[in-house]
Amino acid sequence: MPRGLSFEQIGVTEAMLASYGDFIWEHSNNVQTRYGDPVRMLQFDAIERQRNNLTDQQMAEVLGLSRNQVLQMRVTLEARSYHRHRYARLYELGGNRRFRSDRFVPHELRDRFRQDAIALRNSLRYDPSLVCKYTENGYWADDTLTKWLSRNVANDARRRAVSGPSGELTYGELADKSERFAHGLRLLGIRGGDVVSVQLPNIPEFFIAYLAIARLGAVMSTVHMPYRSAEIQTLLKHNRGRAYIGLSRWKECKPVAEVLALRGDLPALDHVITLGDPISGTTSFSDLLRSEPNLPGDVGPVPADPFLLLFTSGTSSNPKAVPLTYQMTLGNARMSAPEHGLRADDVVLSAAPYSHLFGLYSFHLTMSVGAGNLLLPRFSPPELLAAIERYRPTALFTAPTHLAALENAGLLQSGDFSSLRLVVVSGSACPARLAQAVAARLPNGALTQLWGMTELQAGLFTRPGDPLDVTATGRPSPGSEVRIADLDDALLSANLEGELQIRGSLMFPGYFQNDEANRGAFTSDGWFRTGDLATMDASGNVRITGRTKDIINRGGVKYNPGDVEDLLGTHPKVLQAAVVAFPDPVLGEKACCFVVVAGEVAPTLPELCAYLTEHGISKVKLPERLEIIDAMPMTPTRKIIKARLKERLLGDARRCTMQGEEDCR
Amino acid sequence: MDRAPASADPHQAKAQILNYCRRKGALVVGVANLDTLQRIAPPGHRPRDLMPRVGSVISLGVGGQTRGAWSVPAKALSFFGSTEGSAYKIAFGCAFFIESQFGRPSIYCPPDIDPEGGTRIPFQSMKLHAEVAGLGARSLAGDILLHPQYGYLYYASVFTELELPPDEPLDANPCPSSSCVELYRKTSQTPCMKFCPAQCLSGSIDIDGRQEVMCYEMAKCAEMTEQYEALPAMLADAMDAADSASRERALFDPDNSVYWYKMSVGSGGLLGQCFECMRVCPVATKAPLADPICRGPRVKEVR
Repeated sequence: MPRGLSFEQIGVTEAMLASYGDFIWEHSNNVQTRYGDPVRMLQFDAIERQRNNLTDQQMAEVLGLSRNQVLQMRVTLEARSYHRHRYARLYELGGNRRFRSDRFVPHELRDRFRQDAIALRNSLRYDPSLVCKYTENGYWADDTLTKWLSRNVANDARRRAVSGPSGELTYGELADKSERFAHGLRLLGIRGGDVVSVQLPNIPEFFIAYLAIARLGAVMSTVHMPYRSAEIQTLLKHNRGRAYIGLSRWKECKPVAEVLALRGDLPALDHVITLGDPISGTTSFSDLLRSEPNLPGDVGPVPADPFLLLFTSGTSSNPKAVPLTYQMTLGNARMSAPEHGLRADDVVLSAAPYSHLFGLYSFHLTMSVGAGNLLLPRFSPPELLAAIERYRPTALFTAPTHLAALENAGLLQSGDFSSLRLVVVSGSACPARLAQAVAARLPNGALTQLWGMTELQAGLFTRPGDPLDVTATGRPSPGSEVRIADLDDALLSANLEGELQIRGSLMFPGYFQNDEANRGAFTSDGWFRTGDLATMDASGNVRITGRTKDIINRGGVKYNPGDVEDLLGTHPKVLQAAVVAFPDPVLGEKACCFVVVAGEVAPTLPELCAYLTEHGISKVKLPERLEIIDAMPMTPTRKIIKARLKERLLGDARRCTMQGEEDCR
Repeated sequence: MDRAPASADPHQAKAQILNYCRRKGALVVGVANLDTLQRIAPPGHRPRDLMPRVGSVISLGVGGQTRGAWSVPAKALSFFGSTEGSAYKIAFGCAFFIESQFGRPSIYCPPDIDPEGGTRIPFQSMKLHAEVAGLGARSLAGDILLHPQYGYLYYASVFTELELPPDEPLDANPCPSSSCVELYRKTSQTPCMKFCPAQCLSGSIDIDGRQEVMCYEMAKCAEMTEQYEALPAMLADAMDAADSASRERALFDPDNSVYWYKMSVGSGGLLGQCFECMRVCPVATKAPLADPICRGPRVKEVR
């Protein structure tokens, strides 16, 4: 009896296993072969000829071994060859289902999340009571882009998903191409949870890449088109992206070449995928599109997965990356789409880039209702108007600066906007006069305003049919709550200015690997500090009035320069104005006014102060320094980057300190 | 009950024994030719190796599933798929019946593995007994026996020193059915081969539509059913684990937890067989009397 006996006692060695193993395996009952039907037919000769399966004793006699040796070797071979968890295949069987090997992936072959992906998922931590609340109320539901795409294809595969000068795709074609591209990415080694950086303009390939990344359960991290090496390096280092998808050429730049030059500093970056002219050392986007769609059955996202890792506008050395899950982001879009009045027969044009969440929001909305997307690869006033007049979209998602540019080019007045039944303005506060001018040009539509952030997508918006109140940003989106609080997070009464704070099912749980940013991001009771100043009237309508960090503290008098900027914007010699604080040794801070001149003649500081005073601005809020600049530093979503203006003033101050203040005057 | 004389008429004795088994629920029952068994079974597993004075081997079969059972998900079917317990019960009673009626030593043949033979070798082959007794014929589905009237059955055996006249094997093999031959001609696979999730079946059908070659990889099938080999492997994983967290996962991960549950409640095979080859077998599921509801007399008995 071999039980309890060791190999040494029985005299079995690895060499014996190697020598006799095949014979023992093939002649044991592990493999059984029968020719004809000899037992039933009592063909004894045939039975004898086929006696391939032998008992241990019989094998021992044939091989010249002891029975115990054969038994021990057979059991060892069986144990070593045994695979566990095959029974999971049972779950794919019965109930009118037949087993399909292409659907089933054995445990040992299933993908693993990489450490970077685990770190990202580990950053998603929620208040458990809120998880219950959001799921019970249906705020978080079974939403993924993959499911939405499948549903849209099932509803009408021939419906146009994408149109515009850069190409057209039906939902069926979009699904096919994204499935192929997903398979191509998978062949490169991209797996669920991996981050893929995408730097593409508003072209069909952006959607193909986005949906393919989503299909794999991977995470898209967008890079704005204007970003160059310095910004790209910072973002790709932080997001630990495994792949980058970009253009070989964009305007005068070569984005892919720039990324290739950075590869030494980006150890996580395994693949650079080029759209456009082939570039050595990169993978061709079009080659990946030619992959045969054949993804394993277990590949795909679930609603709780992160699918976006977006950076807030700042590109400092300490970037704020926002992880977003399907539940929060698509839930927000699903519930908001009917409130915007969007339908499956709509065609939505986003003037905002899809690299920004406002642009993506428009796409999420169209996906949620199965509507079409009209693409504008790059913004210019004539191109925007041409797209609207030629393709006749029914909805336009745009920033105030786009509209201002349209107006300045004289195209708002002359263009045909009759196809639009909805214009959603976001990105920054829309000047009242501009909003009224646009609304007047919409014979069949409504102008609405939206306030959102990368951290939450769409937080507030006015609804079509609301009275046109050009100063209102609207009411909270479904599933969210807002409040106005003072600096101590105490709730303020109606119409008092304070910080806008928000919470709800749309809210991100915290910045990715940025403890410093997270420390002050939320109040102790879970409200997100938006950093925006706002008022809220008794009926819950919110007006954004500025940024908390833009508040100027002049000798203890704190004020928001938003109204000053608005007034300066109406001065005939001013095209754009921004007021920021600069350090003062006596008062702490003073206001500096940056101006882009509207005509040939620049305004003077006394001239502007007189204008402000004339319009009721108090003396304490008058700017005490004027800087004339050629252009405002803008984010890709056309917001003025005040931090750059402050940096410029600080740089001047440092130079002054070094050179002596006298020299500086 | 008085004992019958040891010299009871073999034919009458056989009729009484078969009648007993049928009354207790056996659908089929017969006597295998002992000499044939002795000649075919391998040494150590012949009837006389188990019971030296055996005079007869009685085989009986009980019905498998209701028609509805075949439509449920496999993970549910695996729980109630095995009805061999009722066959064993009848065989156990039959052994007592023979001893009490005919005064000859009898045993309910152990259906389990031979401890010396490892996990693939039974004491005795119930399949061989049944086949020689004419209760079924070997199929392309891993030699699972099929009966032309009752389809898929579970078998048990009784050994007795009483000598009974033997039955003959079936005249014809119901496997492959005509529809399986048709599919084989088109795809080189029968349904059982095509839909086996472990792909443990292969074979061929000759030009006359009869079985030519049957190949069954039992090791693959055993993996599918997650039998006994899984447990020591789990424990080995736990012992080799680098730390306590890994050890805990090795024992309590969601998949492994199922094993412990099944062990603790003792519900037969760890997860049972998938039965997919039988689910798609037209003989197993659609033989004229495969469905208990179709077995008129039995339905009347129940009433």
